[in-house]
Amino acid sequence: MTNSETSSNNIKKWAVITMSVISFLGFLDATYLATEHFLGRIPKCSIIEGCGAVTTSQYATIGSIPIALLGSFFYLSIFILTIIYLDTKKESYIILASRIPIAGFFTSLYLVYLQIFILKAICLYCMGSAICSTLLFLLGIYIIKNNGNKILKIK
Amino acid sequence: MEEEPIIHSDNEEKMIPQNQEQQLTKRERKLLKKQQKLENLALKQKKQSQKRGLLWFFVSLLIVASVLGISWLSKYETNQGSLPLIDSISIDDHTKGLANAKNVLVEYSDFQCPACKQYNTLLKRASDEFGDKTQIVYRHFPLKSIHKNADLAARASEAASVQGKFWEMHDMLFDNQESWSTEGNPRNTFNIYAERMGIDIEQFKKDIDSNEVKDRVNKDYVSGINIGIAGTPTFFLNGKQINTPRSYDELRDILQ
Repeated sequence: MTNSETSSNNIKKWAVITMSVISFLGFLDATYLATEHFLGRIPKCSIIEGCGAVTTSQYATIGSIPIALLGSFFYLSIFILTIIYLDTKKESYIILASRIPIAGFFTSLYLVYLQIFILKAICLYCMGSAICSTLLFLLGIYIIKNNGNKILKIK
Repeated sequence: MEEEPIIHSDNEEKMIPQNQEQQLTKRERKLLKKQQKLENLALKQKKQSQKRGLLWFFVSLLIVASVLGISWLSKYETNQGSLPLIDSISIDDHTKGLANAKNVLVEYSDFQCPACKQYNTLLKRASDEFGDKTQIVYRHFPLKSIHKNADLAARASEAASVQGKFWEMHDMLFDNQESWSTEGNPRNTFNIYAERMGIDIEQFKKDIDSNEVKDRVNKDYVSGINIGIAGTPTFFLNGKQINTPRSYDELRDILQ
């Protein structure tokens, strides 16, 4: 463990723990949607929700892989990285955990756009996931900004 | 190698001169201290690795338990209560199958609901297999707040019903759900469907906006609201709400 790799006090523990909790919630949400997909359950339409219009649409899968499953791995990877960081205090892990949500955020933006403008239906669980990825993105930016150049220099 | 701990016997000690003895003792003390330090470090490392092992054990447990819990919940989730059907079957209702069948399955449905489209396929199979002992009843429950074309689609089916083509229009609407659902105004599309079915189009155009047709759709919708249903499709078997079957096998089990 080199000095450059060990944690500086600049990385706020609350930000990492919050990141860990949110990524776990996102993992639960995405895993639920993926499970529903694999069980072949037909989601009902309700007065408040756009039901199966979203989860059964052509945009819900890439090939035969449901996007929810990819989301599940996305959140799980962030969750594990934050736990590794809390355990080892190696900065490289939290940097990675802070950078992954950048891709997640833009993917979520696209998926929300699809729901509102293309499918014209809202899936509550999908919106929950979008909120999680947005919060992770903001926390990631906060961590990166707080550590400034130091974080960017570490490879 | 000089700094390694040396264990001396009593005889050896006696042979060592005074100044060397002092030096050795000092060195021994130093070595002992170092050894203790190493032991402490090893103990600390052992504790740390135990702590780490415990942490990852709980993290793995949390992940596995979450996945299993979600699978279990999804499998056994019951998404409705047991609401009673208030309005009994009337001559006004759209029915399929035997009139005095053993099973009467009432479905509150929405033509723009993707789940209802999927259930329509299951119900068609059920109707073919259990038509001799099951009556299927269709009731409108257009979710106007999320499906902007649902009400007009329900009226299109009622306008077709005026000319005795309810089930034909019903199937046509579900089969082509994707195409008319996203249209700003699907009237022309519905007119084309009606024409294809050999419906008198002028009459159809009048009926779709008539108060009778609007009231007929509304009658079903209000009955659904009175029951307290909040989504589609919602099924009632012999007057009692049932959990929405998740597959054809489940539906078959219910109807057998």
